[in-house]
Amino acid sequence: MWRRRTLYLMILPGAVYFLIFKYLPMGGLAIAFQDYRPFLGFSGSEWVGFDHFVRLFTEDTFFLLLRNTLTISFLLLLFAFPVPIILSLLINEVRLRFFKRSVQTIIYLPHFMSWVIIVSLFYVMLTTDGGSINNVIEAAGGEPISFLTDPAWLRPMYVMQEIWRNAGWGTIIYLAAITTVDTQLYESAAIDGAGRLRQAWHITLPAIRPTIIVLLILNIGDFLELGFEHMFLVMNSLNREVGEIFDTYVYNTGIVNGQFSYAAAVGMFKGIVGLILVVLANRLARRFGEEGVY
Amino acid sequence: MRRIHHPAIAGTAALTLALAACGSGDDGDGGGEGAGKDTISWMSVVHTPTTPETDGVIESALQDYTGKEIEFQWVPAANADEKINSALASDSLPDLVDLGNITNTTVRQAMTQGQFWEVEEFLSEFDNLSQISPETIESAKINGTLYGVPKQKPMARYGVLVRQDWLDNLGLDVPHTIEDLTEVAIAFAEDDPDGNGEDDTTGFYDREESFQLGFRSLAGYFGAGQRFEVNDAGEVIPSFTTDAWKEAMEWYRGLYEKGAINKEFVTLQKQNQYDGIYQGKGGIVVTGLFEARGFYEGGLAADPDTTMDWALINDMTYEDVPRRILTDTNGGMGGWYAIPRSTVETEDEVREVLGFVDSLLDEEPFTLMTNGIEDEHFEFDDDGVVSILDQTKWEQEVQPFSSSRPSDLVITFPSAQPYVDLGNELMEENAEHAVLNPAQSLTSETFDSRWSVIEQQANDAYNQYMMGQIDMEQYEATIDALGGEGLDQIVAEFTEAYDEANG
Repeated sequence: MWRRRTLYLMILPGAVYFLIFKYLPMGGLAIAFQDYRPFLGFSGSEWVGFDHFVRLFTEDTFFLLLRNTLTISFLLLLFAFPVPIILSLLINEVRLRFFKRSVQTIIYLPHFMSWVIIVSLFYVMLTTDGGSINNVIEAAGGEPISFLTDPAWLRPMYVMQEIWRNAGWGTIIYLAAITTVDTQLYESAAIDGAGRLRQAWHITLPAIRPTIIVLLILNIGDFLELGFEHMFLVMNSLNREVGEIFDTYVYNTGIVNGQFSYAAAVGMFKGIVGLILVVLANRLARRFGEEGVY
Repeated sequence: MRRIHHPAIAGTAALTLALAACGSGDDGDGGGEGAGKDTISWMSVVHTPTTPETDGVIESALQDYTGKEIEFQWVPAANADEKINSALASDSLPDLVDLGNITNTTVRQAMTQGQFWEVEEFLSEFDNLSQISPETIESAKINGTLYGVPKQKPMARYGVLVRQDWLDNLGLDVPHTIEDLTEVAIAFAEDDPDGNGEDDTTGFYDREESFQLGFRSLAGYFGAGQRFEVNDAGEVIPSFTTDAWKEAMEWYRGLYEKGAINKEFVTLQKQNQYDGIYQGKGGIVVTGLFEARGFYEGGLAADPDTTMDWALINDMTYEDVPRRILTDTNGGMGGWYAIPRSTVETEDEVREVLGFVDSLLDEEPFTLMTNGIEDEHFEFDDDGVVSILDQTKWEQEVQPFSSSRPSDLVITFPSAQPYVDLGNELMEENAEHAVLNPAQSLTSETFDSRWSVIEQQANDAYNQYMMGQIDMEQYEATIDALGGEGLDQIVAEFTEAYDEANG
């Protein structure tokens, strides 16, 4: 170990970061087993064991949250996950360097916009009170669609926004993986008479398969972690029934309504499920002969 | 894909943001070391879109006057609750906390558990604080104890604002009954009141908080109580369960169906609502009567040629229901200025902080926070009438402070802007018709712990009904179901406390 001390020294800042910002705060999970009162603090609050977990699993809300979270996660996996792969395959086929670079830059842009801005933009376009899309629909003789309040539209809208914001950014890793493919493979395939499509299918895709698998595992690990901000911004009292997910529920019960312990219990449940999912997905990947994430 | 990065970061970031405003006051608030408090950290709610710059002119002037270094921690009104809750949870409170939402469950629990100083015994030591009326003090108490300095407001500020120029265009009279108001609303939606030949106007221009603000006030005209009311059986019940409330809902829903309310008001944020009003999208606003001036100024900024003119109405009535107006200030009590025990540790320090609040009640700081600095933001004419010199400058530098005034009632300035004087006059008239919440000073443990959740569900059901997602039967079913979630318990506890208090 001493021999490689410089290397260890180099990981030190990262390790300290994780220790301070990721592991130390976990001590706060203790309040999930307490009836936490801010004024009494950690030491003074009453210990209640698994009461909050019992409440979570016995309330109807739990199944609503689970259903909504899983549905949206599945939809994202189904529709949003493949988009960057397809996009990077397409970009890879572009031969004109300038055009390729411009497209890449433009599709990265949405990633740097915050959800607040994106949701506001969509709001202006989708509202039935003079939103441009509904104006077009009405001009074409259709009935205006309440994209923003109709529960049926929440999930499609959510997934579209995810794709719009992150698909471009997601291509970075795939494009990087694609550059490592030996160009001789393409040349010999071309000699054998393979067209563009066949080259992409038989050379590019298999070459980036490990990358896809790693990202898939990471995705599955976060299956219940949709992130709070986006959903919080698109949800309102009319689509809450399909929009309420664990993250927004934790926020509403914990921060807004002040049930800190219960919210911590919900969050902890979500974290544990996430951990189990990562381990399972990783095992599965190894079984199929892939490398996995660890 | 977003999820390459750990998405917990997003959540954490949101939390950090929520906490940032609260946590930043740690340096300089003394924490009890050394005698005297030279710096007062103050979490204050701001109702304007922007916060004033640190050490700006007004802040400096206030520091000079009070002799204290002030560290403002501005909290936007829209998420005041969550910031205060997270500050309470993490115990990162400043010296002085502005608590505006008196029904916030976490705040009430924190108070009754002793997170804040009891201040009543200190008040008599101060010139201005000792002048707070006993009724206001009484209505500010929880379980008979005063946990903060009550903010003094007019008894009831709400009313109905109607576009006078639109009424004139259509040849309609100013409505004073709900029946007439209904006609006006429909005419505004259908008869092109702005005369531009386009179907681009509506009657009511409401927003997201309809259930809490606009509609609630309208339901008051129908006879619904101020959040709670005592029914014939002597029970203290929430007003959203009453027949008057439901009748008002049916009426409002009818208007909505006729297009006389903006279509997606349940998602509309305050600033967007204001923008719509400035742009002349709607002609009826149920809001504070003091707002007419701002609407007019905003309308003028949006279109210098606007004909915008507002009729201020404070005597709306419905059928044979006597004139009444629900208080929007808890009966003249706009919340508390509370002093946390964790940051202010000794009684002497409490006195210092209270002395600071007391000095803000003097006329000079009140003028500073209302009008600004003379000859820089406003001027007095010979009759003492105030005119604002530069509206934009005033909005940026002065207006944010107006909600930080411990009292709105120190001086009433005659204004060059007629809406201001008229608004003040009408709000004063409101006082004798104000309907108060009979449960405000009553105690219910279940209320303190469950109310936020229950009210949220009632609010959701209201929104769903208005948008046509559910019908009245389903609304009633939702409300009935709340009984099992603690509402029955709350009614029982309040009724018991009410009987006790009223013999």
